[in-house]
Amino acid sequence: MSPSGTFTVLIVDDEELARAVVREHLEAHPEIRILGECANGFEAVKMAAELKPDLLFLDIQMPKLDGFEVLELLDPQPEVIFVTAYDQHALRAFEIHAVDYLLKPFSEERFEEALAQAKNRLSQGRPVPVEAATLSASAKAEWPMDRIVVKDGTKVTLIPLATLDYIQAQDDYVLLKTPEKGHLKHQTLASLEKRLDPNRFLRIHRSFIIQLDRLARLEQTRSESWMAVLKDGAKLPVSKSGYGRLRDIISIEI
Amino acid sequence: MHPIVGNRARLWAYLLAWAPVGGLLAVRVAASNVPVVAALAIGMLGAYFAAFAFLSSFYLCRAMPIHTSRTPVMVGTWMIATILMGLLWAAGVNLLVVQIGRIYAPLQGIRLHLLASATTGSTLYLLTVAIHYLLIATDRAREMVRSEQEQRVHAREAELKALRAQLNPHFLFNSLNSISALTSIDAKRARQMCVLLSDFLRRSLKLGERTSVCLAEELELIQNYLAIEEIRFGTRLRIELVSDPEAEAAQVPPLLLQPLVENAIKHGISQIPEGGLVLIRTRRFEDFVEVRVENPVDEDAGTPEGLGLGLRQVKQRLEGRYNARTRFEATLQGGGFRVLLIFPLETESPERRLP
Repeated sequence: MSPSGTFTVLIVDDEELARAVVREHLEAHPEIRILGECANGFEAVKMAAELKPDLLFLDIQMPKLDGFEVLELLDPQPEVIFVTAYDQHALRAFEIHAVDYLLKPFSEERFEEALAQAKNRLSQGRPVPVEAATLSASAKAEWPMDRIVVKDGTKVTLIPLATLDYIQAQDDYVLLKTPEKGHLKHQTLASLEKRLDPNRFLRIHRSFIIQLDRLARLEQTRSESWMAVLKDGAKLPVSKSGYGRLRDIISIEI
Repeated sequence: MHPIVGNRARLWAYLLAWAPVGGLLAVRVAASNVPVVAALAIGMLGAYFAAFAFLSSFYLCRAMPIHTSRTPVMVGTWMIATILMGLLWAAGVNLLVVQIGRIYAPLQGIRLHLLASATTGSTLYLLTVAIHYLLIATDRAREMVRSEQEQRVHAREAELKALRAQLNPHFLFNSLNSISALTSIDAKRARQMCVLLSDFLRRSLKLGERTSVCLAEELELIQNYLAIEEIRFGTRLRIELVSDPEAEAAQVPPLLLQPLVENAIKHGISQIPEGGLVLIRTRRFEDFVEVRVENPVDEDAGTPEGLGLGLRQVKQRLEGRYNARTRFEATLQGGGFRVLLIFPLETESPERRLP
């Protein structure tokens, strides 16, 4: 928020009429400048990165990227008011410190209340950025992850989990390895691990998680020391505890 | 699963039933001037040797189901098996008698006439085979009744869930939100949408009360539904409906098609920024009706595995109503999703109410 008390917003919703309602309510506030409207997740990430709005009105179910994925890719993160017809994501929204969660259709009073809270927060200074880790961890079982979003400059890539061979920790980043290439994402391996289906992905080492169906065999290098050989030939180290977990899983499947 | 060994009660009955057979054998043996005790011992030996040895006939029975096997093959196989098992039985019983004779005086020195005994063995074998076939048939019939009942239960559950889900709350909330937007932009269209929404609700509640509706009514309902979605999605949603008048008299479970169209929008159109075309086609061929719903999907998004709940219910309801005379296909191919239903053209509403 600028010293004059004005602030900027971006409206993100795939339905024209849904955006129109928000726009109409905002028109009563001369201190608010609407920077633009986006009809899908990709556009939202691009415009938000470019225009750096103070506040987002964000739908959740949208083409390309959902609202949470959009937020995950923004740095710095603006304040956000979710606007959706689905009430089941409210808990998750508040866990990542959303200002408010408006259920469609909403009344003018309810909208003003949300807006007042946003102003309040913005006047208190910089929002605390939410880590990708928190965002990821906020996803509960009812919102299972089936893909990972990665932003490289302005380019957003969706990586379906099914295409992953393995994930490697590299300092503050994770390397997501698919048969074609590797993608870097700013996140810790531990926080990513929490969101992965333990029946499909397994931590075999401090720095490695593999997709289980990619595993071809285990190779013993010395006594007590093992390597996981993937179907494409890649060899990854297996720690002692990783070996224990692998053995459990492999023996169940036989 | 062996029809006798796999069932404790049957196994006892089976073993018990061999006792009188042993008695009959004993009478036959006694006729050739063998002391009664020895005759009884031989009779029982023979009966219980047969009881256990002939259990193996199940594997041949299973390999040659009575309805589907070719007669010459069956007759040939059973003839060979009968002769072999008869001989095996005679030789086995003879061996037992000789061995036991060494330590049990009454059986000492007794030998069986192999060929004559083999005839008895063969007869017993054929009898056992008949029992096996009978039990297998009984089990199959029972299994069929059970699976049919199961299917009916599934279908009924699907019916109930479908009726409950006829009103997807998110559809309702999103529609109301559109109305809320339209009230200040275009009051006329807001009113039009209120009417469409009310029509849709009234119609789907009505149809949901019945067990059977005609396809034409179903098509009206989805047109109503699509008219609402057209206002919500604007130019993103395009619709093409081609209906064969000859198919429209077909009786179907109510609200069968609405989930297909809803699915096409939720997982297709609404996931694509520029939207696309939802294609609905009905066709009659011979005594069947084919319904096809096609929509584009976003190829970049991860493809969900398996059928969603809505589509699975449609499949179950079709199977519950038409048993094997229906087909349900869902295919994802080249950026498009297609659902194909085929079911018999029945113009009479089935009397069968849900139990």
